[in-house]
Amino acid sequence: MKHSISIFWRDRENHYKLLITKCRNCGKSSYPKLKRCPYCGSTNVEVVESKGRGTLVNYTITYFRVDGSEAMLPKVIGLVKLDEGVKVPAEIVDVPDLSSLKPGLEVEAVLRKYSSDDPHGLIYYGLKFIPSIIKKQ
Amino acid sequence: MSRCCVKTGVVGWGAYIPLYRLRSKEIASLWGFDPNVADSIWIEEKSVASVDEDAITMGWYAAKYALVRGGVNPEDVGAVFVGTESKPYAVKPSSTVIADALGISRKKLATDLEFACRAAAEGIRLAVALVSSGSIKYGLSIGSDTAQASPGDVLELTASSGAVAFLIGPAEESVAVFEGLTTYVTDTPDFWRREGSKYPSHGEGFTGEPAYFHHIISSVTMLLEELGLKPSDFDYAIFHQPNGKFPLQVGRALGFPKEKITPGLVTPWIGNTYNASALLGLAKVLEIAKPGQRILVAPFGSGAGSDAMSLVVTDKVLDRVHKAPTVEELINRKKYVSYAEYAKSRNLILRNVG
Ligand SMILES: [Zn+2]
Repeated sequence: MKHSISIFWRDRENHYKLLITKCRNCGKSSYPKLKRCPYCGSTNVEVVESKGRGTLVNYTITYFRVDGSEAMLPKVIGLVKLDEGVKVPAEIVDVPDLSSLKPGLEVEAVLRKYSSDDPHGLIYYGLKFIPSIIKKQ
Repeated sequence: MSRCCVKTGVVGWGAYIPLYRLRSKEIASLWGFDPNVADSIWIEEKSVASVDEDAITMGWYAAKYALVRGGVNPEDVGAVFVGTESKPYAVKPSSTVIADALGISRKKLATDLEFACRAAAEGIRLAVALVSSGSIKYGLSIGSDTAQASPGDVLELTASSGAVAFLIGPAEESVAVFEGLTTYVTDTPDFWRREGSKYPSHGEGFTGEPAYFHHIISSVTMLLEELGLKPSDFDYAIFHQPNGKFPLQVGRALGFPKEKITPGLVTPWIGNTYNASALLGLAKVLEIAKPGQRILVAPFGSGAGSDAMSLVVTDKVLDRVHKAPTVEELINRKKYVSYAEYAKSRNLILRNVG
């Protein structure tokens, strides 16, 4: 399955940024960018950008082949709890060894290649997570 | 102060070195090089970008932290320059991807620059000119490369991956203020890569004396004359680092002692990151420099040219160092890979299954 250039481009804000929906009615935050709060249904929401830091909740490993990213297998798919409170599913890369992947591991968002239509097509970029380079004090 | 850089300085800086390292002895032994070749040019290991990294993703990381260190809103950046000789696209700018992903204003200048390893230094000069003329408030120059080397070429011992970014802005917000900038360029056939070629070629007799040494010595001598300074007026001297030995040799020729050069050395532990090479050295020095100290930095690019810059550190440097990963932390964060893993992640071998 290849990416659609037009769909990916229209959605690029969500690939390049972690956008959080904050509800002004019930006060809860959700992910991703939404027009309506999933908790109370209110449309009185604001969208804020996450600072891109959080902790690992848990992870799984996938060997599923996706066109344009075959060389990236296997992939670690994690659930990350952002410092802003919401949970985000994302790929975790630059893991020195799997035993270092423990719940609570500090992670940070980085821009990486998702896939590329080689050798002549478009390269698709978006956010993944790595174990944080600077640790929280 | 020279007229080139009135009231401008470095407001923020950011660095990026990939996690992975390949030992130079492994490359030397695989290709049957003289076992002493790595020591003779002082290269211990080199950084290797992961399979999902390229000049855009590494440049994004460095630029993100240059903005964090500067405390500058991305909306206020008026120019983004990316110096690279490993653009992911031959045609389609890297600068626009990085700028959009960082939320930098759409009302800006943005372009990719190519002049071998010194394009990002020219990006700094352009940003300085735009800031000092009042055309923009802040400008970003990013140097980022996944340097290519033909498998088995001696260049493979050093060609590595990394990025650095400098946010240029008003002197009163700066961690280091520019005193002078000079550039010296000529037509020299020391190193090139033709359109469509995957790997570069080098003109053996030209790499050392007529290229690296002549151009750096010329740009630095011009700068010292223009500012009326001598090597003893500088606390640190940083030169382009194609290997660990050349910067010490060019420093000796210019009269800079080893102790002023080693603090800015990065290549022996990460390899030659091309556009990030000397500028990562500058980042490393800013992370240890004290207010009032004077820094000389002289990048070099094949083809050929060199820029010499003099900067004076301000007291603002101290509280910005630990707002982002330091070069030292990035050098020490590492995982060793085999030549096979390196070959896969740098596209030396390609998966060939339908
Ligand atoms: Zn709500």
